[in-house]
Amino acid sequence: MLSIKNLHALAGEKQVLHGLDLEVGAGEVHAIMGPNGSGKSTLAQVLAGREGYTVTGGSVTYKGKDLLSLSPEERAREGVFLAFQYPVEIPGVNNVYLLKAGLNAIRKHRGESEMDAFEFLTLVREKMKLMQMDESFLNRGVNEGFSGGEKKRNEILQMAVLEPSLALLDETDSGLDIDALRVVANGVNSLRSPDRAIVLVTHYQRLLDYIEPDHVHVLSGGKIIKSGDKSLALELEKRGYDWVKQEAAA
Amino acid sequence: MSAVDAKATAAPVERYQAAFDARWQGNDELTALRRAALDRFLSTGFPTQRDEAWKYTNLRRLETRSFTSADASALDAHQPDWLTTTGTRIALVNGHWLPALSSQTAQPPGVTVLTLKQWLQRDPAAVASYLKEHDQLTGNALEQLNLAFFEDGVVVNLADNTILDEPIYIVHQSTTAAAGRMSHPRIVVRAGRNSRATIVEHYLGANETEYFTNSVTRFEVAAGGAIAHFRVQQEAPRAFHIGHIQTRLAKDARYCVHDIQLGASLGRTGITGLLEGAGSHAALFGLFAPMGNQHLDAHTHLDHIAPHTTSEEDYRGIAGGRGRGVFNGKIIVRPDAQKIDSRQSSRNLLLSATAEIDTKPELEIYANDVKCSHGATTGQLDATALFYLRSRGLSESDARAALIRAFAESILSTIDLAPVRAALEKQIDERFKLANEAKA
Repeated sequence: MLSIKNLHALAGEKQVLHGLDLEVGAGEVHAIMGPNGSGKSTLAQVLAGREGYTVTGGSVTYKGKDLLSLSPEERAREGVFLAFQYPVEIPGVNNVYLLKAGLNAIRKHRGESEMDAFEFLTLVREKMKLMQMDESFLNRGVNEGFSGGEKKRNEILQMAVLEPSLALLDETDSGLDIDALRVVANGVNSLRSPDRAIVLVTHYQRLLDYIEPDHVHVLSGGKIIKSGDKSLALELEKRGYDWVKQEAAA
Repeated sequence: MSAVDAKATAAPVERYQAAFDARWQGNDELTALRRAALDRFLSTGFPTQRDEAWKYTNLRRLETRSFTSADASALDAHQPDWLTTTGTRIALVNGHWLPALSSQTAQPPGVTVLTLKQWLQRDPAAVASYLKEHDQLTGNALEQLNLAFFEDGVVVNLADNTILDEPIYIVHQSTTAAAGRMSHPRIVVRAGRNSRATIVEHYLGANETEYFTNSVTRFEVAAGGAIAHFRVQQEAPRAFHIGHIQTRLAKDARYCVHDIQLGASLGRTGITGLLEGAGSHAALFGLFAPMGNQHLDAHTHLDHIAPHTTSEEDYRGIAGGRGRGVFNGKIIVRPDAQKIDSRQSSRNLLLSATAEIDTKPELEIYANDVKCSHGATTGQLDATALFYLRSRGLSESDARAALIRAFAESILSTIDLAPVRAALEKQIDERFKLANEAKA
């Protein structure tokens, strides 16, 4: 589904990715771990198409298409979803407007008709229940005045409604207490399916207790320096990152 | 040299003299008043940018045009952009009342609604004495121009304790017949003690027509009275529009205005609020959105004359293209006016590198026991928010439109008259969607 080859990228003026390779197949869950400053968030932003990040080399192929040539909205319509590390507060734009406009833009792109109001609300209510969110959130401004945990739940709610093929979660676990982490993990797990891939970018192993990855990668110095199965995450938790770096340098 | 050439080369103010002579003759009291007003206009001419109140607005383009008085014109039907309000509608077409498109519902006892011309016919001496008392020596050059040239308008009188639930909708439509013409409508509202009313002023014009509207609106609100005023300037793209609003508030009187400027090539509203009675309150909400080459100027002047008076002001400007906006908010607190509470906020959004908004708060405080706050910001659409919306599938133009609408919403959401709010929301959405598409 996603094939990243020798990716080099700048965040602003600074070279952050130095030849990153990653293959993600449909139905798989990948965890990308790494120390601060290793390039985890840059990777997520580059894949979502954020301005200010410049690809200087390599390629990203998604479902056979050159992902890097698409605008952020085209990526979203093709089924790429980024759950933000810091979801943006947008007073004056309703949550329900965003969900509806996003969903209809994606459906239109697929050649499907717009959802009618009843169908849409039924869908949204069901997903809100899953995320244990009160319906009053719908008519509030996007993330406006939400607590950290509510913002992260709102990200997963959007993801659950938009049903992406490739979900990228950028530090979704950061700042969550254990109950909120369970709700978020539950939401993510409900989206696991044979035709969907999930990439979790995380600093801690904790999230992986709830969302079990098929593959774990260590990102350091702008490239993947080690890959393994979920046991790698446990080992990192115990021993830190230095041994992997030393092993890679050797 | 033909007469037409002579007219075109005459000094600007002399053209107004010629237009006046062509329209007004006679020696009655009112004509004498008009003539005196014209003389005051001619002696000063149009304000220039050396005048502090006109620092950011250059009237040269208006000054070089020659406009003559608009005649009464016919109009077949209610226009699509007119608001659908309940209550009385007064249609002024090219500055003249058009009864066929006006509708007067039965007024409750104590409410009188007349056209200015009707009042003139009934009681010319009363009109002359009203104008003498209120306008002869006050008002800037353009208000004098209105006094010299006004043809028609609306007069609303509310007796003490009269509550008018239905809004009075005054729609001023300029048609293609207004090309090269000017109109100077005048609205007078006198609200008695503890009376209440809602006045909607709406200005529109035919596309591609160049004309000049120069309106004067006066409110006098007696003790305990309350006026809600909506003023929507949606003139044609080539029009010139200058509006002067003056409100005098007696003890515990309240005035709330929504000053919306969307149309015209060059537009300006000047609102003066005189808080003359203790406990009076003025609330000014404004939205101006110059696009293309538009220039829109919002001037406010709140004078806290009496103690224990309060005011709040919230203006938002959105400028795109090569649009230019101005907000100038002056607040005066007189020496004996203690216990004043006044808040002013001006927030502005620039949509392009070539757009400009000048914002200037001016506080003159001569009393010491007062609370006055003001704040002004100017910024661009939040790039992070824009990316966030696009990452959910919204097109760039939809994302921009949503953020612009959100910015305007803080003013629009304070409009409690449903037809006005709905029409404006639609206008804003269409306007910025179009602008974005043009940009793409």
